[in-house]
Amino acid sequence: MTDSEITTELGTEGLGEQSWWVEQWMELINTYRYKKRLARAWNYAREGNVTSIRFEGRRVHARVQGTEKQPYKIKLWLDILEEEDWRYVIEALAKKAKWSAQLLAGVMPKDIEKAFATTGKRLFPFNLQEVKSECSCPDQANPCKHISAIYFLMGDQFKEDPFILFQLRGRDKSSLLSDIIHQRSIIHKEKKVKDTKSILPSNIINKQSERIAIKYKPNFWWSYEKTLDDDLVVITPSTDKSSDVLLAGELPLAKDPKCPESHNTFIANLISHRDIQAQQAMLHAMSIKR
Amino acid sequence: MSLLHATWLRNPRGLSEIKPAIFLWADTWRIANPEQPRDEPALHPFSLSSKELKDWLTEQQLLPNNTTDSSASLTLPSKHIDNKTNKSEAIFSVLPLQAEETIPTKYEWWPWKINGLTLSPLEASRWLSKLPLSIKNTNLSEEILWWTHLQRWALKLIANGLWLPQVELNKEETSHHRARWVPLLNQENERKRLETFVETMPLVVLSSLPWKNKEEENISNKASSTFKTHRYLNPLASWRPHNQHFEVISLLEEIIDAQLRENFQPSTNNLDPLLNAWQKALGSDNGYIDLSNEAVKRLANATKNWKSGLSPNLSSAKTCLELKAPSNDTQPWRLKFFLQAESNPQVKIPAAQVWDAGSETIEIDGIKIEKPSELLLEGLGRTLTIFPAIERGLESPMPNETELSSAEAFLLIRTEAKKLRDLGISVLLPTSLSKGLANRLGITIKAELKESSKGAMLDESLSWNWKLMIGGTNLTMHELEELAQKKSPLLNHKGTWIELRPNDLKNAEKFFSNPPLLNLNEALNLTATDGNTLNKLPVHHFEAGPRLQAVLAKYHHKKEPEAIKAPNGFLGQLRPYQERGLGWLSFLYQFNQGACLADDMGLGKTIQLLAFIQHLKNQHKLSKPILLIAPTSVLTNWKREALTFTPKLSLLEHYGPKRCSNKENLRKSLNGIDIFITSYGLLFRDRELLKIIDWQGVVIDEAQAIKNPKAKQSIAIREVTKNLQNNPIRIALTGTPVENRISELWALMDFLNPKVLGEEEFFNQRYKLPIEHYGDISSLKDLKARVSPFILRRLKTDQSIISDLPSKIELNEWIHLSQEQEHLYNNTVEQSINEIASTPLGQRHGKTLGLLTRLKQICNHPALALKERNIDKNFLNRSTKLQRLEEILDEIIESNDRAILFTQFAEWGHLLQQYLEKRWESEVPFLHGGTSKINRQAMVDRFQEDPRGPNTFILSLKAGGLGINLTRANHVFHIDRWWNPAVENQATDRAYRIGQTKSVVVHKFITTGSIEEKIDQMILQKSQLAEDIVGSGENWLKKLSIEELNDLVALDKQNPEF
Repeated sequence: MTDSEITTELGTEGLGEQSWWVEQWMELINTYRYKKRLARAWNYAREGNVTSIRFEGRRVHARVQGTEKQPYKIKLWLDILEEEDWRYVIEALAKKAKWSAQLLAGVMPKDIEKAFATTGKRLFPFNLQEVKSECSCPDQANPCKHISAIYFLMGDQFKEDPFILFQLRGRDKSSLLSDIIHQRSIIHKEKKVKDTKSILPSNIINKQSERIAIKYKPNFWWSYEKTLDDDLVVITPSTDKSSDVLLAGELPLAKDPKCPESHNTFIANLISHRDIQAQQAMLHAMSIKR
Repeated sequence: MSLLHATWLRNPRGLSEIKPAIFLWADTWRIANPEQPRDEPALHPFSLSSKELKDWLTEQQLLPNNTTDSSASLTLPSKHIDNKTNKSEAIFSVLPLQAEETIPTKYEWWPWKINGLTLSPLEASRWLSKLPLSIKNTNLSEEILWWTHLQRWALKLIANGLWLPQVELNKEETSHHRARWVPLLNQENERKRLETFVETMPLVVLSSLPWKNKEEENISNKASSTFKTHRYLNPLASWRPHNQHFEVISLLEEIIDAQLRENFQPSTNNLDPLLNAWQKALGSDNGYIDLSNEAVKRLANATKNWKSGLSPNLSSAKTCLELKAPSNDTQPWRLKFFLQAESNPQVKIPAAQVWDAGSETIEIDGIKIEKPSELLLEGLGRTLTIFPAIERGLESPMPNETELSSAEAFLLIRTEAKKLRDLGISVLLPTSLSKGLANRLGITIKAELKESSKGAMLDESLSWNWKLMIGGTNLTMHELEELAQKKSPLLNHKGTWIELRPNDLKNAEKFFSNPPLLNLNEALNLTATDGNTLNKLPVHHFEAGPRLQAVLAKYHHKKEPEAIKAPNGFLGQLRPYQERGLGWLSFLYQFNQGACLADDMGLGKTIQLLAFIQHLKNQHKLSKPILLIAPTSVLTNWKREALTFTPKLSLLEHYGPKRCSNKENLRKSLNGIDIFITSYGLLFRDRELLKIIDWQGVVIDEAQAIKNPKAKQSIAIREVTKNLQNNPIRIALTGTPVENRISELWALMDFLNPKVLGEEEFFNQRYKLPIEHYGDISSLKDLKARVSPFILRRLKTDQSIISDLPSKIELNEWIHLSQEQEHLYNNTVEQSINEIASTPLGQRHGKTLGLLTRLKQICNHPALALKERNIDKNFLNRSTKLQRLEEILDEIIESNDRAILFTQFAEWGHLLQQYLEKRWESEVPFLHGGTSKINRQAMVDRFQEDPRGPNTFILSLKAGGLGINLTRANHVFHIDRWWNPAVENQATDRAYRIGQTKSVVVHKFITTGSIEEKIDQMILQKSQLAEDIVGSGENWLKKLSIEELNDLVALDKQNPEF
């Protein structure tokens, strides 16, 4: 992976299998006309010239080490939606349970733009010109290679959290979610009025207190009569490769451009730790006093 | 005896400076004064001090490596004691209850100060790894077993790599962010296991708080000044777990974290600063992360998402999908949405109620859930990634369900439900589609014995027919083929939704074209347990015809065989259960099966066997002698009982130096003999001789003697039984709960019915190892089902027995003298008689009395007569009485009964105490004339009250025969005889009195031919002599002539010869 050719194609180094919204972001970057500059930006990103990247409110703040001693300061932002627009978007989002469900499960819904359609606005920038940026470098071109380097890294950040795009458009995760809940209860009330009769008696089942009372009986204080579970009898390491958790999901942490091998090394360290520990656990499990 | 406990010492204030630990403590029984409320919890009066605990653990080889002396405040159920000393003012006072103690109806929750040892989670996990996984060591409490199981689980999670490193953000500004290793419960079965651990956790595991000392308080006050409000450092307040679910998770986390933290110091090359700091913290002792707040938060967020991508967050509730089948083929399936309590799957809240709640919290199973709709939606979102079919159900704002096609429903049932469950989504399927084997295509069987058969042979084939069954309804092969042609995996058959798998049809066709033969043995196995298959088809139902049913029911002990009345020639009465026992023995004999009669002591195994042999004799089934093997110590008893109950059976004892030593003599002497009795020792010595005889059968008494298959006697038994012809009788007698002694079962069954458990190697692999080493319950069930037809064990407490049983059973234990005893006895008699004869009349009295005493001592043990002070190596073999006593006590201890032992000789009490304490490595108290009043009361209280007190208690007849209450004992031993039966009865009444709930067995030892037998006869016959003895003390001795004296004391010639 380390020696792959430097290219502006997507889905190459370190990005692995991409979520569609990350792909869409990368496609957007690739619409940039000056391929050479983009290639240099990719180098910057890959070689670790980006020293920091932060999401503060609706802006991205970053620092990129350029040719000068001091790193350049970069700001990126998108046009935010007006309150009025957000109202429409939230109304739309609340109408379809799927959207909230997917977002909460960490997935950007493919048809998310439909929720923005009534406003005439978009969640994703349609073209690069929508991505506003400033860089402290002397380069007149915008986006300069420093800014472009940030573009690449933002893709990774989107993967960490699909709510970041909403944040850049002016609504952070928690307020967005509570707005949706609020909107849903409005729909709920309207529906109830329509239905007139109540949907279900709200008899919330509460057995816990009863159970605690039983468990506090003193007989439970000491006794444990269970025998060992069948599958704890003999302990063997798992042979099921698909259950390898360390390889199953990638650590959703944006890479530090300066240490491209950091993730892989860390995971490799964990894997070797896991194998040694698994061996030891088996040995311990076999050395019970009879 | 002390009992070791373990409890979790958490840090109640969330100060990370105080590390959580496991706290070991022990309690023991002692006299204690009840405690009254005061400022701080009182010291637990039964607990050991840290020093005592350490010494004891060292002695038991249980001491962990690195321990710290410390204290805890532990809340325990405690009993209210009325303080009677001050009547004017009722003083509230309490004592803590102990494990295994009966819980009174009224109890209080009360905190106690306990001293003990703390162990770091790492030390604890190492220590727990070495402990047994089933209760073997009686020093360990049941909650320690829970701990060992938890550690076992931790080992499994580690062995399977089911963990992830995480970041734990600080809860207070002043403390640190920490790197943590956490278990990853990403499989449904592991999460269920968590709930089981929560459900079964003994509460004592989580009911303690660390004891706070003044100095520590000062330190923590510096750290945070908000805690000064407490008036007392350790308030008198009860502490019980609040949310066991989360507390057990955090326990598991601590144990796993400690183990993984160790030895994690990989190179930091190539790591970026974030991962570098994290990796370092993961391998450090305290786990502190050296990064800016902002960076740690980013790391924490990323690791949290990493984990939730792999496994569900363990919240209090989860999304639950319930599949509902349509009533007919044309309608769609429906998948309903719920929130389900993690702690109690029964508690489900429909989605509609979740939407009703809006932004309010909702309560599920007593736990408040914030933003329930987000919890539900998140689960639906995750479902969508695996099972896209639900997408159309999520188009509306607040969906309650979605429709599915039957193909989608099938996909959910077959594969996706499991994946969803692993992701933490609960999936409920219609019962006819979810119960595994029970609803699969299988067969029902109808079977009956063949016309001509009596059901006497295991391998005889049955007449039988079978039908196909699926989802609880029968169907024909034709119907099955029709169903299969629909090519749909989910089918509605007569109103029930069923799943038909491709192999089902194939298996059914195979079965149809070539049905197997069914014999009685298979019928037995098929009916013994559920979930059996025959040629790959599950057997859903087995219907036995009336005659077969009768046979099966008897085999499975569901119905007792017909009772058989005491046969002609048997002198005496059989109690109803003994008649049933006799019926059972002959039932199994008809089947050519060996039988193990394992009745509780005192129920009369000997009598039942003698009645059975008499029964056989009357039925003309006894053409050859039966070989009866018993321990030497009971040979005499057998002879006595046979003489009393079945005098018409001729019995030959093979014992002593004059026993038959060659074939011809043996054959000749066996003529007309019914029972040939010998000892295990001689069986081995004379095996070459005994194995050439074609015995009618072999009976082994005290069958635990052959528990070790490699022991001499076991080998000899095998050799002797190997060549027996034509349905030999094989019966084993034992009073021990043989079915619980896994390792001994093989040898027993090898003697009774070798086919049942197969070869020893197979048995060890299949049963012994899994059960004994790991406590595998399913293997144990299977094993019990296999052997139970051949073992009959009834307890004195069984409902069906108790009404037949007198509340007091008197058993005479007939024994003979050992060689040493006999020599000593004869010499003593010879010398003394001469001496007495030459003594003036006036002084004879004293000498005679001395002789009688000395002879009684010899009957007990030569060491007693020889005034030895200590036990020697050969102590047991020197006295037959001691051997027999030990055998009986073994059974009593095994059955967890309790016994009191009376002797008139204090010196014997001391020797016996020494011997028994060494033999069982446990305390045996001895109450005698020299015991102080306080100690007496303590011994009695302890025997009566201590839940884990001693099983045996020796008392001198004079000091302990009166006034005290020992109703916890249900066995009374009179080791030596007293002249006056009233004195014996008074002693017996220590246990046999009001308050006794069990029937009491009184064991009286009588050495045949000796003075003891004479005394017994005199008491029985109420002869003039006895009257004299009982009536007027020792006056009678004066009247005794030398001849009379000699008759009284000389050893009877009937005694076995050596």
